[in-house]
Amino acid sequence: MFKKFDDKDSVIGIQQLKSSVQKGIRTKIIDQYPTLEEYIDTILPKKDALRIVKCQDHIEIIVNSAGDCLFFRHRNGPWLPTLKLLHKYPFFLPKEQVDLGAIKFVMSGANIMCPGLTSPGAKIEPVPQNTIVAVMAEGKQHALAIGITSLSTDDILKVNKGVGIENCHYLNDGLWQMKAVK
Amino acid sequence: MAEEESNSKPSYPLKVLYCGNCSLPPEYCDFSSDTDRCREWLEKYLPDEFNRIMTSSGTAGGDDSDEKKRQKRGGKGMVKSKKKDDGPKQVCLSRAPRGKKKSVTVVTGLSTFNIDLKVAAKFFGTKFACGSSVTGEDEIVIQGDVKDDLFDIIPEKWPEIDEDYIEDLGDLKR
Repeated sequence: MFKKFDDKDSVIGIQQLKSSVQKGIRTKIIDQYPTLEEYIDTILPKKDALRIVKCQDHIEIIVNSAGDCLFFRHRNGPWLPTLKLLHKYPFFLPKEQVDLGAIKFVMSGANIMCPGLTSPGAKIEPVPQNTIVAVMAEGKQHALAIGITSLSTDDILKVNKGVGIENCHYLNDGLWQMKAVK
Repeated sequence: MAEEESNSKPSYPLKVLYCGNCSLPPEYCDFSSDTDRCREWLEKYLPDEFNRIMTSSGTAGGDDSDEKKRQKRGGKGMVKSKKKDDGPKQVCLSRAPRGKKKSVTVVTGLSTFNIDLKVAAKFFGTKFACGSSVTGEDEIVIQGDVKDDLFDIIPEKWPEIDEDYIEDLGDLKR
């Protein structure tokens, strides 16, 4: 999603959000990530003036008043956290671990293939299809990418071929390198 | 490792350290385009983290033989190193005439120091109480002749720009 993203060219406009819209987004995010409710006030404080950055390809990014990117989404899809946020609160997404060999491919933007999730170095947390997951790596502490499962984990184990997790946002992509928005 | 963390119940948000060279968490520095510079940076600024990573990669041991087998010529998995063309870093100041007796000051080259031109233009505007705007890729036009003041003010505002980096191009003809 962010492979060819560039914070200079891809941003179309920045908009201040109405507080009613902010509330809507807050409840939506809590709905999606119930475990985050305890910390939602530190992530999205009620009084904070959130802004939305509209980008090419129907991507929208929520930015807080300090300019940090927090969540992003594609069209009307679910809100996905950015990796910087996920690193701070690593508990709220199910974790799928890939083996060592897969890291460099994932970091250049590849989708996560099933064999990388089923090999000895990998670990799978059972989730259904179309779940937002954090992609961890063998022997690493921090998440490597954020993706959406295109197969349920049962199917991943069964089929063991093709794309298992669609890569949405990975380390060192355009969104990761995006500087604080003013 | 993640499991250890959840057991000890850390307080969120976690503080995550990032490498100053490649902006990744230090454990992923191996996968960035220039690992050597990352190592250097880590050794300098986060010696604890550096030792931790060095020892953990040392215990893995057998990595060397693995690395020989792995292809190194490229292929899809290679992270392409971004070419940073570090051109000459220089700020050029010049005066351009405007009408019969008025002139504007043209500042070019600020973006080679990674300075946000928009912010810089605003700063000049408030400093000199005049109009100031970004007019091109790397050009700011300040209304009025403020060239002499700029020699003092630019190094003061951005310490990374030494006065030696600032060049006077004199008057531009029109």
